[in-house]
Amino acid sequence: MRGALAALALILVAWPWVAPRYFVFLASLVLVNAVVAIGLNLLSGYTNQLSFGHAGFLAIGAYTAALVTIHAPRVPVIVTLAVAGIVTAIVGLAFGVPCLRLSGLYLAMATLAFGFVIVEAILNLDALTRGADGLPVPVARLGAWAFGGDAARYYLALVVTGLLVAGALNLTRSRIGRAFLAIRESEIAAQASGVPVARYKTLAFGVSAFYTGVAGGLFAFLVGFLSPDAFDVFLSVDFVVMIILGGLGSVPGSIAGAAVVTVLNDGLAAFQNYRPLIFGVILIACMLFMPGGIVGAARALARRLSAPSGGRPCASSSAA
Amino acid sequence: MTTAALIHVLVSGLATGSIYALMALSLVIVYNATRTLNFAQGEMLMVSTFVAWSSQRLLGLPLLAALLVAMVAAALLALVFERLVIRRAIGATHWDVLILTLGLSLILRAGAGIVWSHDEFPFPSFFADRPIALGPLRVAPASLGIIGASLVLMLALAVLFRWTRLGRAMRAVAQNQRAARLMGISVERVYASAWVLAAVVGAIAGVLVAPVIFLSSRMGLVVINGFTAAVLGGFGSMPGAVVGGMVLGVLENLAPLYLPSGIRYSVPFLVLIAMLLVRPAGLLGRVERRKV
Repeated sequence: MRGALAALALILVAWPWVAPRYFVFLASLVLVNAVVAIGLNLLSGYTNQLSFGHAGFLAIGAYTAALVTIHAPRVPVIVTLAVAGIVTAIVGLAFGVPCLRLSGLYLAMATLAFGFVIVEAILNLDALTRGADGLPVPVARLGAWAFGGDAARYYLALVVTGLLVAGALNLTRSRIGRAFLAIRESEIAAQASGVPVARYKTLAFGVSAFYTGVAGGLFAFLVGFLSPDAFDVFLSVDFVVMIILGGLGSVPGSIAGAAVVTVLNDGLAAFQNYRPLIFGVILIACMLFMPGGIVGAARALARRLSAPSGGRPCASSSAA
Repeated sequence: MTTAALIHVLVSGLATGSIYALMALSLVIVYNATRTLNFAQGEMLMVSTFVAWSSQRLLGLPLLAALLVAMVAAALLALVFERLVIRRAIGATHWDVLILTLGLSLILRAGAGIVWSHDEFPFPSFFADRPIALGPLRVAPASLGIIGASLVLMLALAVLFRWTRLGRAMRAVAQNQRAARLMGISVERVYASAWVLAAVVGAIAGVLVAPVIFLSSRMGLVVINGFTAAVLGGFGSMPGAVVGGMVLGVLENLAPLYLPSGIRYSVPFLVLIAMLLVRPAGLLGRVERRKV
């Protein structure tokens, strides 16, 4: 396992030297989507609060990062990304606190509406966002460095994603992560065991929005041009597909789901009409035949392979 | 603004609202029976309307026959999906069903795009184009027709739920599934009936509204307006769904007169968020009590 991880790290670091330029861009996009998927999974997979509005959070992060860079070009990119995350987290909290009253499908529909309203807001605040014309994003800077090339942007995304993945893994293994899982299993039981449900649900909203906001900032620098129609509801649906396919309540699952969906999206670019069809089939097939997603299936496979030789199969928790 | 113009806006608002009300009723019929939300309800409406269009164009059927074809197609689609997918996911939570129907909505929308393309098509109307003059008022016959037809359909639904055996069974399942099962009601049959009934109501709504808004694969988004209408009236309440639909339709038509015009498309979403945050139980709904 450790060897596999080291090999993966080596591939990730060496990627810009071995892969063609376009695939460097694609890998950066996978990283950005992985951050969103982790953020969404912390909310939906861990805390059982379904969101169909994460494209809205991504848009807030992206436009924040773009506007900061336009109006204050000297701000280092790390600060810009942090600001994007924090602004989005504030919006997430402002939206999440009243949403505490909602659960299940009401929350799903409220977040769906949130996504639509954000896109309409971007379109109508054209003094700030230049509306439907779109907003060009300047090159990100860190002191004397400019992240102008695909490789430079890839490393920026890689470092930020690495930090955020480590943060998420630590968070989910902490008291907070266990509280999230307790809320998912049963809100009432969690409350009875002394977990302050409202506080942790709000926290999940804030953390999820923070992750998505940082990813939005990375996305802005990566594509270099923002337009509101890039953040429509179908993007939110893509994020939901990522976590369902990867595995709910799993950080590695989020990354795997983001990778598969992003590459699939890219590969099917020439077949735009068939793309949602395939995603729809994936969703239904996952729910019926692979409820644990890729991670669940991989775990079941590993258990089956190791069971004859390794004695008693170990029932691992879903909180990986 | 003159009274006549205001009445004109109100009438077209009520016409839009009737469609929202029918969509809301579809959602509520499925919700009451199964406690789940069919996210694909709007796409089912869209596909059945396309079926009506095709049968009218290709087979040369009269519009009324095309409507019947659409209703049958909607019923079959609902039955097949309910039997093949929803029922396989036994013990599924509302979460799971939401994801399953989200998958279905993606498939139906993409499928419609492949079969019929994503263009907009004109759709023949049951009603004449020329405005009717009622004294100083001029109203579109389509608006009056939609309102009238929707009211008849709602009345038929009310009769069904109140006085037929199936309607009683559906209300019983909505009240208490286990007790209903103990009384010998087939809950599975009620589930399937709810799906079919909702799909048929959706097909009628689709054929009614298509001449006004054009037929396109984007029609399915009406599910959001339907959900908003249902929440507005109190999710689960059928009279509430009707009232909510009408209120939403009128609000949506009035808003551009008093607010910046860009706001029109945000109205349902803003109403939905405001309503969920301020009064999730809706205008006519009751707060659901949860027992452990």
